[in-house]
Amino acid sequence: MIPNGAEVFKLSRLSIAWLSIIFGIVWAVCWSIGVGLPMLLEGQFGERVTLINEILKAVTPIVAILVFIPINAMFMVLIERRALAIFTVRKGPNRVGPDGNLQTMADAVKLLLKEDITPTGADAFMFTLAPILFFAPSIFGSLPLLAAVTNNHDLFKILNLPTGIFYILASASLPVVALVMAGWSSNNKYSLVGGLRSAAQAISYEIPLVFSLITVCLMAGTLDVVKIAQQQAGGILNWNILGGGALAGLNQFFAAIISGQGADKALAAFYPYGGLSYVAALVLVPCVFMSFCLYLTSACAEINRIPFDLPEAESELVSGYNTEYSGIKFAIFFLAEFTNLFVVASITTVMFLGGGDNPIPPYLLDKFTPFPQMIAALRETPLVKDLHLINPETLFATFWVIAKVYSLVFFAILIRGTLPRFRIDQLMNFGWKRLIPLSLIIFVLVVFARGFVISHG
Amino acid sequence: MSYDNLTALLSLPVMETWMFYVLSALAICLGVGVLHDRVVIRSGFILIGVFGTIAGFFLLLSAQFLAMAQIMIYAVAITLVVVIALMLTNPRLEAERTAEPDDDNMPAMAKFFASCKRNMTLWISAFSFITLYVAISGENRWPVAGLPVAKDQVKVIGEALTTTYSIPFEFSSVLLLAALMGAIMIAKNEPLHDPDEEPKKAIEDSKTQENNLALTR
Repeated sequence: MIPNGAEVFKLSRLSIAWLSIIFGIVWAVCWSIGVGLPMLLEGQFGERVTLINEILKAVTPIVAILVFIPINAMFMVLIERRALAIFTVRKGPNRVGPDGNLQTMADAVKLLLKEDITPTGADAFMFTLAPILFFAPSIFGSLPLLAAVTNNHDLFKILNLPTGIFYILASASLPVVALVMAGWSSNNKYSLVGGLRSAAQAISYEIPLVFSLITVCLMAGTLDVVKIAQQQAGGILNWNILGGGALAGLNQFFAAIISGQGADKALAAFYPYGGLSYVAALVLVPCVFMSFCLYLTSACAEINRIPFDLPEAESELVSGYNTEYSGIKFAIFFLAEFTNLFVVASITTVMFLGGGDNPIPPYLLDKFTPFPQMIAALRETPLVKDLHLINPETLFATFWVIAKVYSLVFFAILIRGTLPRFRIDQLMNFGWKRLIPLSLIIFVLVVFARGFVISHG
Repeated sequence: MSYDNLTALLSLPVMETWMFYVLSALAICLGVGVLHDRVVIRSGFILIGVFGTIAGFFLLLSAQFLAMAQIMIYAVAITLVVVIALMLTNPRLEAERTAEPDDDNMPAMAKFFASCKRNMTLWISAFSFITLYVAISGENRWPVAGLPVAKDQVKVIGEALTTTYSIPFEFSSVLLLAALMGAIMIAKNEPLHDPDEEPKKAIEDSKTQENNLALTR
């Protein structure tokens, strides 16, 4: 029996309720702007409004993200505080609203109503620009991910870039500049030290982060996130976390066994060099798993999460780069931090955990469950046929993506509740002497082992 | 359910021309801002904007990969290093240097050299601008390739770097390695002689000055 089972039950109930609220709202907004309003306009005015409809469809993803970010951040703050309270055996927020569930709304209202102060001697222009530059990349940087997690849905097809993951990385590197800018323009020594620390940390941990993602791109043979997500379709053995497609042959082998034909041929097609190929696959599996861990570690450092939150170490630097910020500017910093955590979890989901793919492979699922019939029946209902309320192809993928992303977010919260903060020299030593050599070794191993196995790319 | 009309509208030549002029105006304004701004660190931050607009040019030329690389390497990493290096400079040295002796009774040649030395940056930038201008507006101005834009640009760039241009690529990496080693040598350089009394006093003076400055603020 779990000692605080009641609390855990309350937490899971709360998260399910909040997640349905968040994605219900986002789905409603997406539908009304992308599908409902164009349909209405076309019915009313005919061909004349085609351009307006196309513009409406093009802005749908941006509006969806803009609606999603504040609600999601409110949810994540609440869930983080409650989960941390459970880990450290405390009560957590329990005063505002029923059982403390309205705490983050009260916080948001407080932050919006607070006076916006610019300190004396601060560089006012840079001081205002820094939160904007911190927040904007997390909006437009996550756009290709939307196309990837919805499996190139019609509304989000426009976001599909051929250099997807590179675009995401480039925009994820922009906030560092904003942190240095915020630290310098605040005219405060603690802020400046916080900004410089974040720059040093981000530059050091960017290298293992990029290397771990390059390893996956090498196995996939493309930079396009949509393609990477689509390659991993078909069960947990196809996911990049297990060898980046090195086990795809095994998957085919099992499929052949189930269907009862050509089992030996499937293995030979994917592992053409006999024993050498099996050795290569055995090397690839731990290598790519380690680069998954490397990615999570260095992404934690990149977005300044505990145990890498040196830039805002409150015991040393008051609050680091955002010491002087108040009111709406502080709120923007706050929003962007939680959004970055969400973006990192989505990148991990798309790159390593198969995007919206079901872990149970289709040859098992379709044989023993009536899911295909369910989807076919769903396609015939008027809700789908006439109103396009639900897309049956991406309905289950959506649930899987949400489950995977929020599990990773919960994992980050768990780490926050478990590990103490690094010291700055430990952080640098860990980054330069452990993570970077490890990522280089993994990269070289994968380059050589990849030649012996037929993988995704 | 296609975006044909909107994409057609966005890919009109006149749209591209307008975007080019907007981006170049922005780039030139920001470049002037970098040179003109009194606060060195702020001009370092403005440099990010310059590199960002140049990334916009790459996007206009449908070189997506290069635009991303421009943002990731130049606009963030290099500018960040520049800004941090600027924070290590001493802005007071600049203020002290302007008080130079009046050189009315110097010979004309010496005067000319002194002014050259003072305006070194100006001359270098003028020289490089003229060189670039001559190179660009020469006999065969812009050789326009008739080839269509490659579908998989990353592949094209990678192949070019590892086959046609592999030797320059390797040379540049060796050069960067040498620069890195040189930087480490300079950073680890121990002082050849013990600092005598005078610099120490100067340092203390500057510290008190700094404190006074902070107090008046």
